[in-house]
Amino acid sequence: MVDHLLLMIWHALLVSVFFAFLWRRSSRDRLRLFAKAFVLMVVGSVVLGWLMYLVP
Amino acid sequence: MTKETARGGGGGEPARKRAAPLLLLAAWLLPGTGHWILGKRRRAIVFFAIVVCAFVTGVAVDGELGTPRPGEPFSWLATLACLGNGLLYLTRLAWINGASGVLGGIPFGLDGGGDPVAVGFAYGNTFLYTGGLMNLLLVLDVSDIARGEKD
Repeated sequence: MVDHLLLMIWHALLVSVFFAFLWRRSSRDRLRLFAKAFVLMVVGSVVLGWLMYLVP
Repeated sequence: MTKETARGGGGGEPARKRAAPLLLLAAWLLPGTGHWILGKRRRAIVFFAIVVCAFVTGVAVDGELGTPRPGEPFSWLATLACLGNGLLYLTRLAWINGASGVLGGIPFGLDGGGDPVAVGFAYGNTFLYTGGLMNLLLVLDVSDIARGEKD
């Protein structure tokens, strides 16, 4: 339950679904926004994490 | 003359409608209620589930509810973010402090719970803040829908 990666993915999932339903009306648009936001948050966090690893 | 044109003053600008305060209060207290009342049932269920999931996860991983602390201005921002959870926040606060403890502890004597040395503490805080901020956005959304600016 306290695995940081799983918590980050769970957080990204909740936020992505939230904004997909808040900002889009059709199912197709919601799915697109959800996928974009989710991938951006998860991949972005991992990339940022690795970049920070290089900083002492 | 209708009420709206009277408010508009006849200056060419359309009168701005206002959302009912009780509707906004309901939307804040229980996530999704505002959308439910406005007939957006599916969205209401989704929003309720998301905010509750975020809040429960935050509590489950030992996150701390934001409470005001003297000399720590950012604690007020954390409080505002967590307060966005509405009844969830108030109930959890009463659970931790007791009902009389909440009333007697305002503003600086409140315990937000959580465990600062727990592995999930920082993540828990993030979930609690996020849940509250999402609910505050929902209140704004309800206001927009009630005023006819959104569907």
